[in-house]
Amino acid sequence: MTPEAFEAALRGVLAERYHDRHPFNVRMHEGVLAPEEIRSWVRNRYYYQTRIPIKDGIILAKSEDPGFRRRWIRRIHDHDGDDAREGGLELWLRLADAVGLERAEVASLRNVLPGVRRACDAYVEFVSGHDLLESVASSLTELAAGGLMARRIACFERHYPWVKTDGLRYFESRTEQAPRDAAEGLRFVLERATREEDQARCVRALERKCEILWALLDGVEWGGRRLVLARGVKLHDEAEGPVAVLAERAVRIHGAGREILALCDGARTAGAVAAAMRARHEAPPDVERETYAFLEDMERLGVLEGTP
Amino acid sequence: MSAPRPWNLIAELTYRCPLRCPYCSNPTDLAAHRDALDADAWGRAFEEARALGVVHVGLTGGEPSARRDLEAIVRAAARADLHVHLVTAGTPLDGERLAALARAGLGSVQLSIQDADPEASDRIAGTEAFARKLELARSARELGLPLTLNVVLHRHNVGNVSALVALARRLGARRLELANAQYHGFALRNRAALLPTAAQVRAAAHAAEAARAEAPALEILFVLPDYFAGRPKPCMGGWAKSALVVAPDGRVLPCHGAAALPLEFWSFPARALRACWEDAPGMNAYRGESWMRAPCRTCPERALDFGGCRCQAFALTGDAAAADPACALSPHHARIAEARARDAAEAGDGPGLAFRTWDEDAAR
Repeated sequence: MTPEAFEAALRGVLAERYHDRHPFNVRMHEGVLAPEEIRSWVRNRYYYQTRIPIKDGIILAKSEDPGFRRRWIRRIHDHDGDDAREGGLELWLRLADAVGLERAEVASLRNVLPGVRRACDAYVEFVSGHDLLESVASSLTELAAGGLMARRIACFERHYPWVKTDGLRYFESRTEQAPRDAAEGLRFVLERATREEDQARCVRALERKCEILWALLDGVEWGGRRLVLARGVKLHDEAEGPVAVLAERAVRIHGAGREILALCDGARTAGAVAAAMRARHEAPPDVERETYAFLEDMERLGVLEGTP
Repeated sequence: MSAPRPWNLIAELTYRCPLRCPYCSNPTDLAAHRDALDADAWGRAFEEARALGVVHVGLTGGEPSARRDLEAIVRAAARADLHVHLVTAGTPLDGERLAALARAGLGSVQLSIQDADPEASDRIAGTEAFARKLELARSARELGLPLTLNVVLHRHNVGNVSALVALARRLGARRLELANAQYHGFALRNRAALLPTAAQVRAAAHAAEAARAEAPALEILFVLPDYFAGRPKPCMGGWAKSALVVAPDGRVLPCHGAAALPLEFWSFPARALRACWEDAPGMNAYRGESWMRAPCRTCPERALDFGGCRCQAFALTGDAAAADPACALSPHHARIAEARARDAAEAGDGPGLAFRTWDEDAAR
């Protein structure tokens, strides 16, 4: 492909698969998300923010070129901050304050939903397992990020006025950083990938990154689903412990599982079930994580289902 | 040997069925077994099963909806606090009756299909049924009943795994069971017309694996057939260990096929279900491990496969206590290897199919 055709192919991936088309983002920009949904997104997306400097550190370590490293390290400063300014992570925690979350709770990452965690970890794993070219190509979702940030600021001011404007500084900072980073990344990829097979690898890397961002929002949506004992499932409290019986299997319920199932009343979201478990117990550190893992298992086995 | 707790009751309500599949797992003298239990008797069986520890009942046959009192049977099972799972061929059952069964307490449905397209499916079923089956799958989804699709695999459809997966997704099934034919009864008679080649089975296993990665929301069960696995299947999770079958005539068995063995089983309601399960000589014949001979007796895998299938051992060696010939360690394994060499073929080859028949002579 010519460089022009290659760039068009990359932009074509974004036009088709970037997460601005994900139903959750569409609803965010339509202004119809409930405050609890906005809060869940902010809380969970923070995990992605924490992965970015780690991912960029891995990319740095892949390059032999001091010039490349000098430019790329700026991304880490952008997120972590330096002596002169606050970084993106701090600005995101301001957003957490602005939507009414406890900053310490968000920073602890303890309440990150399992699908979100898997998606973000998959990004770090992708960069770890692929070469410099593919790693840089995977960052090119930034080509679409600048526009999304500008839209997002307007949308928050219009639809979510309860979010304090100080919280929007992260988006403001990215409207400048993302286009600059994207132009740099694009130039690198266009210069390096001149052979068909390298270009194809870059396109695939960008597709994979789009999948990851999409999966992140799927993970946020999962946390908002209202779970209930699936139709036809019977719960037997046997002498040896509770057993859930369904179409082709019986599932023994261990430990706090019985209590979690009782909380799945069709009114509570997965997030609310985890919050209720934390409120009821003397805060073992992993209570949310264990609750989510149990809920996912039960859904996979067909014991629980989402209400329509 | 003290009897373990059964979890699952397989209630064969009748051997009548509008389909004539050439691998049917019912006894080959099926017409000799009349439907001896009415809905009240089934209700008592469900109550006694629950008292034994059973939590799940599969209503099967034959075709359960061939019984006019199926609604009353479902209601009785739900009243006994069992999860009620209906195993149906999708005919003569229709959506309206399925709705009535759902109201009576039905919990889930397993629908059999014979292949992924109407002509091939109806050819194996020996009757026109495919369109009705799809209609019933839609009704199940509309009623919110979890749906499992079950397909028996053999040389004529084993190449269609991807199409079967696509069909299962289209129908909104939660689970797809790709069940390789087990060569007992009718299927053993038809083995030369059904047994696939090893290459076909491998390709099907790969297709199932690929589909699993692609559609994680659909649970896909594919078990390598014992003729090709080199190891026996853990038949019924062990003889009279966790499941019991009540046949249409009331006989209480450890599996569908055990009636063909020269063993004494007892019948409900002539005796209490607990006695039939715990004390019938046939039930205790192969419970546990004390019946095992070499090489099973000391085999480290005996805890995984429980010695395999007694019915297969009997059908192929004449001795139900012999090692399952499907196991490569069995002294009789050559019988499986010979059958594979002689009978395995691709579709288009081999003799014609002999369909299940309702042989009235056998009823006398």
